[in-house]
This record gives sequence, C-alpha cells and structure tokens, in this order.
Amino acid sequence: MEHVSGFSLPNSGHNRDAEASKMGMWLFLFTEILLFGGLFIVYMVYRSLNPEAFLMASFELNVWMGTTNTVVLLVSSMTIAMSITAIQKGNRKLSIQLMVLTLVAAVIFMVVKYFEWSAKIEHGLFPGQAVYDNLPPGESLFFFLYFFMTGLHVFHIIIGSVVIGFAIHRTAKGRTTKEKYTLTENAGLLWHLVDLIWIYLFPLFYLIH
Amino acid sequence: MALGGFNLDLFVSPVLPHSLKHLNIMSNQKDLKTEGKKAPEVHISSYKDHFNTLLALLLLTFITVAISVFGANLRSLSVFTALLIATVKVIVVAYYFMHLKYDKKLYTWLLIIVVILFVSFTVLTSIEYLNR
Repeated sequence: MEHVSGFSLPNSGHNRDAEASKMGMWLFLFTEILLFGGLFIVYMVYRSLNPEAFLMASFELNVWMGTTNTVVLLVSSMTIAMSITAIQKGNRKLSIQLMVLTLVAAVIFMVVKYFEWSAKIEHGLFPGQAVYDNLPPGESLFFFLYFFMTGLHVFHIIIGSVVIGFAIHRTAKGRTTKEKYTLTENAGLLWHLVDLIWIYLFPLFYLIH
Repeated sequence: MALGGFNLDLFVSPVLPHSLKHLNIMSNQKDLKTEGKKAPEVHISSYKDHFNTLLALLLLTFITVAISVFGANLRSLSVFTALLIATVKVIVVAYYFMHLKYDKKLYTWLLIIVVILFVSFTVLTSIEYLNR
C-alpha cells in the first residue's frame, strides 16, 4: 500500500508543487496591484483637479487612528512572517499562536476602522447622507474615494483573515507540517499585500496636509 | 552458438525489461520524493530578522507622520516625501517579509516588470492631460 501510494506519475493529480502554488499566489497578487493601482490613478486625477478640496477634506480624518492602524498592520505582518519561520522550524504550536495574533491584529484594525467610519457617518459624510450631498464637489469626491478604497481594503482584510483561519485549521489538524507549509506561506503573501496597500492608502488619505 | 544465443535472448529478454522497469520505478520514486520535499537549502528567516524589519518599518512610519503633522511649513515637500517613504516601506516589506530576497529571482523580476508596466501606462495615458 505504502509502495503504491508513494508512486505517482507527473500530472496524475497526486503530486504537490509548492513552487507552482507560490507562483499562482504571486500572479493573483499582481492582479490585486493592478486593481488598486487603477483606483490610485482615479485618486491622483481627482486630486489634481481639486487640490484645495482634497486638502480641506483630509483634515476631517483622524491621523492618530490612521497611525494606530498602520502600526497594527505592520506588527501583524511581522507575526505572520514569524509564523512561517516557526512552521519551517517544525514548531506548529508557535506557528498557530503567531497566526492567531495576526487575526487579533486584524480584529483591532477593524474595530478602529469601525469607530472611524461611525464618526464620519455621524457627521453625515457617507455618500447619500445630507452633509455629504451638500459638500463642494471636490470634497465629496474625496469622501467617496475614502469610503470606497478603505472599504475595499477592509474587504481584503476579511478575506485575508479567512485564509489565515484555514491555515490555522490545517496546521492544527497536522496537515501543514515542517515539509508542507505552502498554505501558511501563501496566506502570509496575501496578508503582506493587504499591508502594502494600506502603506499607500495611509499617506494618501491621512497625511496630505 | 547461434541457437544458444537465441535461447539466451529468449531467457533474458522477458526478465530484463521487467527488472529495468522496476529499477526505473525505484529511481523515479526517489526523484519524486526528493522533489516533493522542500529542498534542504530553503532559507529560514530568523525571528530576530523579522523583528528588526518591523523596527525599520515603524521608524519609517514615525518619520512620515512627524513630517506630515509637525512639518506643516514643508507643505509641498510632504506629499512627495510621504509617497517616497511609503515606497521604501513597500520595498522593505516585499524584500524581507515576502521573502523576495531569498526566493528565486524570477519573482522579483516579475514584480519589477508589473510595476514598470503599470507606471509606464499611467505616464503614457496622462501625457495628453499633463500637456494642457
């Protein structure tokens, strides 16, 4: 039995290719870069058309909340990178703990985001609300892009958390091991991309004074 | 002699392919096994390296915020520096956290090509707008 299962022909559907999996994840990340890249172009064009309005609107955002979230995401990037180190060294328990810490960071990020968004919504700045509708056109563009781009980013945080959740599950079941940790690695790559996007979103929306 | 040889052929030939085939399977199996496992020379980043990377990123974040909040008189400079520092941070994350430094160079090159394509298309399509 051992002998039969150990023998697998190339392309028989039973072989595993860690390198190809990683390449697949990178190709997906490239499409993500282009997706957000397109939105950054929209931002640049609107901003160059309405420089003063964008400046005024950006003062509405809370720099300290943005900074907190930046730090939280950077720390979570480190913990997920460390969890790969842990599984490579065969330390499954530590790997799981570090991934759980990453999820905790994701929750903190979303809680801060929740308070930020609710403050804006209380001020009536969400598209469709009374204050938003009466804003000068440039400022409403700013808030539209702010909600759209940070919203899409939070959506990626949620997806990334789900993938990390799968990685935790498989590690706990013993299916991710010292030799087979592709899922953890790919979850890490995805998580770092989410971090990369925030690294650009943060100065563009919060720090353009 | 000829008859003996013929006999010998008959005797050997059914056995030989079989044993060869068996040998093939064995060596094939070995190859697959070593291929399936991660190559032993996989680089494992240390916890300390990751921590130092984080410290560098936090320092860069602090600089950006400081310039933006306290350097109001550097207004025109702040947008440019903020984006420049963001780009440095992105490179640090990709190089160390995303393991590009130790992976096959193919990944780095693909990323560079994607970025170059994106930037050049952006510039090319804005030429008309910028020249007004």
